[in-house]
Amino acid sequence: MIVLSERSRAAWGRCLSSPRVLAGACLIVILLLVALFAPWLAPHDPQDQDLLSTLLPPFWMAEADPAYPLGTDTLGRCILSRLIYGTRIALYVAIVAASGAMLVGTVLAVVSGYFGGTIDWLISRAVDIWMAFPPVVLALILLVGLGAGVNKVILAIVLIDWTRFCRVIRSEVLVTMTLDYIPAAKILGFSHARIMLKEILPAVTPLIITVLSIEMGIAVIVEAIMSFVGMSVESNVAAWGVMIADARTTMHQAPWSVVFPIGAIFLTVLAFNLLGDGLRRALDGRLVQRNG
Amino acid sequence: MVLQARNLTVSMQSGSTRIDVLRDVSFSLAPRKVLGLVGESGAGKSMIGRVISRNLPKQFSIGSGNLSFAGQDLVGSSTESLSALLGDRIAFVPQEPLTALNPLMTVARQFVEHLDRIGVARDHQPQRMAQALREVRLLDPDRVLASYPFQLSGGMCQRVLIAIAFASHPALVVADEPTTALDVSTQATIVQIMRGLQRDHDTALLFITHDLRLAAHVCDEILVLYAGEVVEHGPARAIATAPQHPYTRALQAANPSPSGPLTRLPSLPDNMPGLAGFASLQGCRFAPRCPAAEPACHTQVPALVQTVPGHAVRCPLTDRQQAAAKPALLQTARADSASEVILEARNLSKYFEATRNWFGRREGPGLHAVRPMDFVVRAGEFVGVVGESGSGKSTLARLLMGLETPTSGQISLDGTLLDADTAETRRLRLDTLQMVFQDPQSALNPRRSVEELVTQVMESRMTRLPPEERRQRAKDLLNETGLSPELIDRYPSQLSGGQKQRVNIARALCVTPRLLIADEIVSGLDVSVQAQILNLLLDLKAQREIGLVFISHDLSVVRYLCASMIVMRHGKVVEQGPTEQIFADPQHAYTKALFAAAPPADLDHPWPPEQASLS
Repeated sequence: MIVLSERSRAAWGRCLSSPRVLAGACLIVILLLVALFAPWLAPHDPQDQDLLSTLLPPFWMAEADPAYPLGTDTLGRCILSRLIYGTRIALYVAIVAASGAMLVGTVLAVVSGYFGGTIDWLISRAVDIWMAFPPVVLALILLVGLGAGVNKVILAIVLIDWTRFCRVIRSEVLVTMTLDYIPAAKILGFSHARIMLKEILPAVTPLIITVLSIEMGIAVIVEAIMSFVGMSVESNVAAWGVMIADARTTMHQAPWSVVFPIGAIFLTVLAFNLLGDGLRRALDGRLVQRNG
Repeated sequence: MVLQARNLTVSMQSGSTRIDVLRDVSFSLAPRKVLGLVGESGAGKSMIGRVISRNLPKQFSIGSGNLSFAGQDLVGSSTESLSALLGDRIAFVPQEPLTALNPLMTVARQFVEHLDRIGVARDHQPQRMAQALREVRLLDPDRVLASYPFQLSGGMCQRVLIAIAFASHPALVVADEPTTALDVSTQATIVQIMRGLQRDHDTALLFITHDLRLAAHVCDEILVLYAGEVVEHGPARAIATAPQHPYTRALQAANPSPSGPLTRLPSLPDNMPGLAGFASLQGCRFAPRCPAAEPACHTQVPALVQTVPGHAVRCPLTDRQQAAAKPALLQTARADSASEVILEARNLSKYFEATRNWFGRREGPGLHAVRPMDFVVRAGEFVGVVGESGSGKSTLARLLMGLETPTSGQISLDGTLLDADTAETRRLRLDTLQMVFQDPQSALNPRRSVEELVTQVMESRMTRLPPEERRQRAKDLLNETGLSPELIDRYPSQLSGGQKQRVNIARALCVTPRLLIADEIVSGLDVSVQAQILNLLLDLKAQREIGLVFISHDLSVVRYLCASMIVMRHGKVVEQGPTEQIFADPQHAYTKALFAAAPPADLDHPWPPEQASLS
C-alpha cells in the first residue's frame, strides 16, 4: 500500500477539487480512449475513398449522408474517421515528445543546479543560445537535416524544447539547494547521484508534472504544423495537420473539412493547458498559501 | 488611558466550531507606561497588534469585548477613522526590520512618504528626518537616508523603523518582537533607544516578546499569555521575581540563568497545543501540562483573581503550591584532561575569495570568515562557541563537517589527520562526527517519514539492512530522544517545532557518533521546549559520553551546557577557556561587552547599560 504523506494527500485533494484539473483530465481521458479504440469507433477506414460522394456536408445539413456523420473531403474520405485516427498521431507525439524533452531537460537541470560552478555555467549558456533561435525555424532546419517522418518530428521537438524544462526546473533545484536537508544528506554520506534522485528530484516533481502537461499541448501544435507542411507523417496517414492541408483548396465550398481538425487541435491543446494550469495552482505551495 | 481592552475575545471559525484564539483579555495602558505581552509562539500575543491594525487573518473575528484607543472604539470604528489613527497616533515597530522596508526605495523616499502622510510640510522634512535619525543614534543621517535598506545592517534598519514610528510623536507604539531577529548587543541598543524615545515623547509602549527576562527589564507591567488566555497580570518586577501562576513559574525556571549556581532546568512536558487544539481544552488551558493540576482544573475555567492589588492570577491553587523541591546541582566539570582527544583543529581558517565577474575582475573584497584558530574537543566534553552574526561560527561548523574546504590548517579526528578527501577520511568523519542543523524545518526533507529521516544514514551504506531492523533502530532512536514511537510514520509537517528538533538530533545519533556539532539548535524554539532539548543533550552526554561543539549566540545557554567556551568575533577567536573562568573574569573587551549586553537575571542591575553599543 502506498502511504501518502499529509502533504501529498492534501495536494491530491486540491487537484481533485480543482475544476481546471478535472475538466482537463476528463478531456484527455476521452481523447486517450478515442485513440485506443479508433478501429472500433470509426465508421470507415480513414483512407477509403468514395469518389462518388466527395465533399459531403455534416449531418445537420440538407444533403448530408447519414453514413458520413461529419461529411467527406475532396477524395470522399470520412472526416469523422480521419479525425478519430488523427487522435492517435496527436497523442503519440504529445506523450513521447514531451516525455523525451522532460527527460533531457530535467537531467540537465538537476545536474546543473546541483553541481553549480562551471557545469552550471555551460548548461545555462547552452540553454540561452538554444532559446535564441526561433523554434519553428529551428524545427524546419532540423527536419531538413533529419528527413521527414513522425519520429523525426518527435526528435526535433525533444531537441528544441528540452530548454523549457531545463530553465524552469533548474531554478526550482536552486531553491531546493538552499535548504539544509541537502548538506544534511551529504553529511550522512549520501553520494551525489543519491542526493539528486532521493532528495532533489522529489522536491521538483510537482513542477515537472506541470511543465510536462503544458509541453504536451505544445507538441500537438508543432506536430500539426509539421504535418501541414508535409514534414511529419506520410500523406496516406490520417493526421489533423494533413487534414487541414488537404482541405485548403476546397475551404470555400466545404469549410467543415477545415473546421473539424482545427476544433480537434483546439480541444486537445485546451485540455492539456487546463490540466497544466490547474496542477500548477494545486501543487505550487506559494500559490496555495496566497489563495488561503 | 491610551489603550484599553475589556474582555476582548478573538475567535476563529474552523468548519462548524468556533475556537477562542484570544479569550477574555482585559488591560489598560497609561501614557508613558510600557506594557509587556509575554508568551510562547502561538499564545496569541501578536493578535492584539493585529486587532489594532485590523489585520486579522481570514476566518478570525472579534467575538466580544472591546478595545479602545484614547476613548475611541477601535473595533467598531469606520475604516477611515481607523486609518487616520494608524501610522500617526498609533505606530508599529515590526519584528523583521529587513523585510519591513522596501528594498527598491532609499530610506529617504520611504521616510518622506511617511512624513507626507502625517502632514509635515516639504520644507521641514529634511530637518525632521535628520533629527529623527540622530535621536535613534544614527550619527550620519545623510548617508543613511541615501542608502537602500540592504546596504544597512539589521540593527540600523530597525533604528530607521523606530525613527519613522516615532516621527509623528504617536501616543502609542506597538513593538512586536522588535529585537528577536537581532544580535544581543544590538538588542540592548534598540531597547535603550526605544525606552529613551518613549520617555521623551510621553508615548505608551506595547512591547510584545517571548522573553520574560527581557520584558522584566523593559516593561512596567506584564501580561503573561498562554493559549490565548491571560494567566498572570501584574507589575513587571513582581512577575519576574515572584511569579504565581505555574506557567509563569515554569517559564521563568526554564530559562537558564547567566549567573548563580547551575541547577538542572525543570521543563514542562509537551508543548502548547496549536489553535485547533484549543477547542478540546475544557477547563484551565494550562491544565494538561501543569505540574500542580487537580481533577477540577480540567473541567472548570478558573477566573483571573487579584491576589494582591494590581496583581492578578488565573489559578485558584497558587497558595497551595509548595515551593518545588530544589533541583539537583548540575555537573559541568571540565572534561578530564586525561580523556582522549576526539577532535583537534590546528591553525584552521577559511577565506572566501571575492566572486569574479565575466571579465575576471574581483567584485568587492574577499572575506576572512574564520581566521586561524586552534582547539581540541575531548570525549564527553561540551565546548560552546559564542559569537554574533557574522562571527564565522557557522562557517566553522561547515569546515568541521567537511562542507567547506579549509584555506589553511588541519583537522584530526581520533588521532587521524583528515588531510585528503578520500573514501577512508569520509568514512571516518561520517562515523565520528555528526551535525545538527539550526532550522529543522529546512533540515528535514518534508517528503520523508520520521522513520526514514532518523535512519537516513543507513541508505548510504553499501549493504542494505532488512526493513525490520531499520524500523527497530528508528524506534530505539525515538525512544532515546524522548519521542513517542507513535510518531514513526508521521511526516515533518505533522510535528511540532520541538519534536522536529528531536528528530533532527535523532538522525545525527543514528551512526552513534562521538561528537556532535550543533549550530544554533535551540534559537528557534520556545523557552520551555529549549529546556527540554538542553536537558536531552545533557542526558546524551551522561549515557553515551558524547562530545558536543555547541554554537550559540546565547551566553546563558552556553554556560548551562558547556564547560569550556570560545568567543568569536569577525572570524577571530577573542577569548577561549573554561566557561566559569570566562564568566567570572572576562579578559577581552568584546567578551565584557557581550556580557553587559545580555539582560541580567538580577532586576536591580540596571539594563540596558548606558553605553551598550559595541560597534
